[in-house]
Amino acid sequence: MARVIRHVLHEELVNSRRMQRRYAQALRGLGRGSLVRKLIGGHPYYYLAAREGARVRFRYLGKLSVPERQERLAKHRKRGQYRRLLREVKQQIRFLERSLCG
Amino acid sequence: MASQRTLCHSVLERLAKAGVLEDLVLIGSWCLEGYKSYFGRKTPLTILRTRDIDFLVPRPTRLRTSVDVPALLEELGFVTDFHRGGYIRLLHPELIVEFLVPERGRGTDHPVRLPQLGINAQALRFLNMLEENTITATLEGVRVRMPHPAAFALHKLLIAPRRQGRPSKQAKDLDAAVAVLEALRVHGAIELVREHLASMPPRWRARIRQVLGTRQELREWLALLYGS
Repeated sequence: MARVIRHVLHEELVNSRRMQRRYAQALRGLGRGSLVRKLIGGHPYYYLAAREGARVRFRYLGKLSVPERQERLAKHRKRGQYRRLLREVKQQIRFLERSLCG
Repeated sequence: MASQRTLCHSVLERLAKAGVLEDLVLIGSWCLEGYKSYFGRKTPLTILRTRDIDFLVPRPTRLRTSVDVPALLEELGFVTDFHRGGYIRLLHPELIVEFLVPERGRGTDHPVRLPQLGINAQALRFLNMLEENTITATLEGVRVRMPHPAAFALHKLLIAPRRQGRPSKQAKDLDAAVAVLEALRVHGAIELVREHLASMPPRWRARIRQVLGTRQELREWLALLYGS
């Protein structure tokens, strides 16, 4: 039975490592940065805020249409979801590695 | 575990709403969860299982609707994984969704394209016996088609010797087969298993007989099923 459990844990570790690569790849595909709205002279203008080393850089996007905004917000939400799932996968990997080595 | 069950429910519900679940057959270790509702909650049916949830797509594929499954499950956080064999798996930390089709003829290493589902499926031997004898049971609150427990158990016995070089997987298959056979015996359905066995090709029957004869703990099933 111990051997069967060990095999299952090993199989799950292989799956989790693969999953980690896939989530990292998916995150890269979604780009970086958050959408920031600034009101200038009563008009809304949009910027993409992204961290570059120690500082946060704002890239000017201009006036965005509603579908453009929705698309960027959907990407942002997706990135948040994938980051959370990636964290979960990393925890699983640590747990499985400890279980197999211990 | 609670989030895994919730996610399983969400996956099944989405497939049902999209109108494809009724054309699929749930196979693999998640069936045991469904068999608990089929036999009654008091039947002990616990085996070690991985995160994989496998769906069998019967052949010829007669899906009533087309749906892009990877896109359907992407909202739940699934990412698409192209296996080196060419088939697709949908990965999530709690669940891995995979689609399989019965292998035909001499078999092939190539995946089977299923454009109606937007996926490539892996073809595996002996799966046709699972699609021919199905029941409908409740899994996580959703009605799902799954193999008849007798077909499930006999299929596990049939494929166990093919797990060469993977003794742990073989042990898992045999554990699952014995757990389901035991549940069938408790419910007085051994005659049904014999009928299923009798309907199988002679070479498959001989292979199952051989498997039952190799292990001490399986010998009693040899006597029960073959009367020897």
